[in-house]
Amino acid sequence: MADLLTVSFLQRALIAAALAGGLCSVIGVFVVLRGLAFIGAGTSHAAFAGVTFAYLVGVPPMPVAIAFGLATVWITGLLEERGRMKLDVSIGILYTATMALAILFIGMMKTYNAEVYGYLFGSILSVTQDELLVSSLLVVAVVGVVLLFSKEFFFIAFDQKMAEASGVPARRLFFLLLSLVALTIVVSLKTAGAILVFALLLIPPSTAYQLTSSLRGMMGYSVAIGILVSCAGVLLSFRFDLPTGPAIVLLATAVFSLSVAFSPKRVRRLGPA
Amino acid sequence: MEHVHPHHSDHQHGKPLIRFDHATFRYPYGPALEDITFEIADGEFIGVIGPNGSGKTTLLRAILGLMPPSAGSLQIFDCACERLQCYHRARIGYLPQKELVDASFPITVEETVLMGRAGVIGLFRRPGKADREIVRHALEDVGMADFHDRALGALSGGQQQRVFIARALAQHPQVLLLDEPTTGIDTPTQHTILDLIKHLHQDLHLTVLLVSHDVNLIAPLTDRIALLNTRLYAIGPAKEVLRKEILALVYGQEAVTTDAGHVLIADHHHP
Repeated sequence: MADLLTVSFLQRALIAAALAGGLCSVIGVFVVLRGLAFIGAGTSHAAFAGVTFAYLVGVPPMPVAIAFGLATVWITGLLEERGRMKLDVSIGILYTATMALAILFIGMMKTYNAEVYGYLFGSILSVTQDELLVSSLLVVAVVGVVLLFSKEFFFIAFDQKMAEASGVPARRLFFLLLSLVALTIVVSLKTAGAILVFALLLIPPSTAYQLTSSLRGMMGYSVAIGILVSCAGVLLSFRFDLPTGPAIVLLATAVFSLSVAFSPKRVRRLGPA
Repeated sequence: MEHVHPHHSDHQHGKPLIRFDHATFRYPYGPALEDITFEIADGEFIGVIGPNGSGKTTLLRAILGLMPPSAGSLQIFDCACERLQCYHRARIGYLPQKELVDASFPITVEETVLMGRAGVIGLFRRPGKADREIVRHALEDVGMADFHDRALGALSGGQQQRVFIARALAQHPQVLLLDEPTTGIDTPTQHTILDLIKHLHQDLHLTVLLVSHDVNLIAPLTDRIALLNTRLYAIGPAKEVLRKEILALVYGQEAVTTDAGHVLIADHHHP
């Protein structure tokens, strides 16, 4: 009986990891190619602020996290568009402001709440059946939208101005892409934690970037690497009793380092031109 | 014997496709183009020259409907440019001023050209067999078919330029806008690119608007040349408008000399 329970709880964790890892690595391809990396960092902290607010007022955390995440990506997108302020500065401010909000909300709570910290550091081993269901639905929705608009998203990631000039409604689709980034981060919040979700978004696609010279190849490698390192990270943390988030991220970082060292692009550059 | 310019005797130009009528375009910090009036006829080849910052690129962006005029009007395919829809835009092929492609950006030649189909196909549809066939033809047109599965970043500047022209062609455009297609490319390749543009104009009957700072390079190709420096100073056949007094107005008195039919413009810039 105990064995069965253990297995199903490990299975749940593995499924959650595969969902988060897979989803982050799909969206991450566009994030990396379009150069939106720091939007990911800002948004994960905003989503965490949403979670703390939800716990403070006693409402379900997911919707509030989604609302906070969406607000942040849209504000950042508008700032990027206007181009009046340097993006690293505006995101830096947004990032610290939302983190301050989160700390404020935590401070206002009457009691210590361990669950909140689960969202900050990631607690995949405590993912519930219901959370898994919500995550799965969000993953299906996000991947569905990506499939629907993949030719436009790739064009925007490669050259947004050119996409607009050749008849793609680039601006609206860019904001749709930003919204997907926010949803992706919220889905992955419990798995990797607000601090580390950023890594899940960046490392698999950046690793894939080293390995291929086609968009299709980059997507394929990215998803495979994302799912594999997430699941392997869960198994490692389970086997050696380590925190899951760091196990996944450090494993991914190791894979990334290997890809840089052995990248065909790097070899080509070092060899005769 | 009177030499007749071939473009004027042989070429039958169709109805106007693009009409500027006293159109002014402004950036937040000042005017980019002022009081522009001219028409581009179907099948015409127009060269646009002018010094740096004279509004040449703005002119192209306006034709793409990306910059509505603050005064006057601009009609594109009988549609006010403010109301230009995505499917209109897809009928205009655009080669922007060359930017360096990150050498390691993971995209193949074929994937790059296929992007030209995105606007034509429209939302919610995936490129199919017919689109891949169009991409193959476009690559053949620019002589890059053998490179279809190569990484874009690994190609030379001239080859990349040809791939981007193929991307514009994959839209099956009616109008081709080319912004400095020969800048930053070695001289033999410059001529290859210009021959290619000439072939596209003549054989595919494309209306071409070619922006360049090298007037002597493009003059033989064009039906008319537009001299731009915020205002449109002159537009007409090269022989008529490339005169010292007009050029001096556009570029400044001391910048221009003519030598054996060639115009020399001391135009500082263009790395």
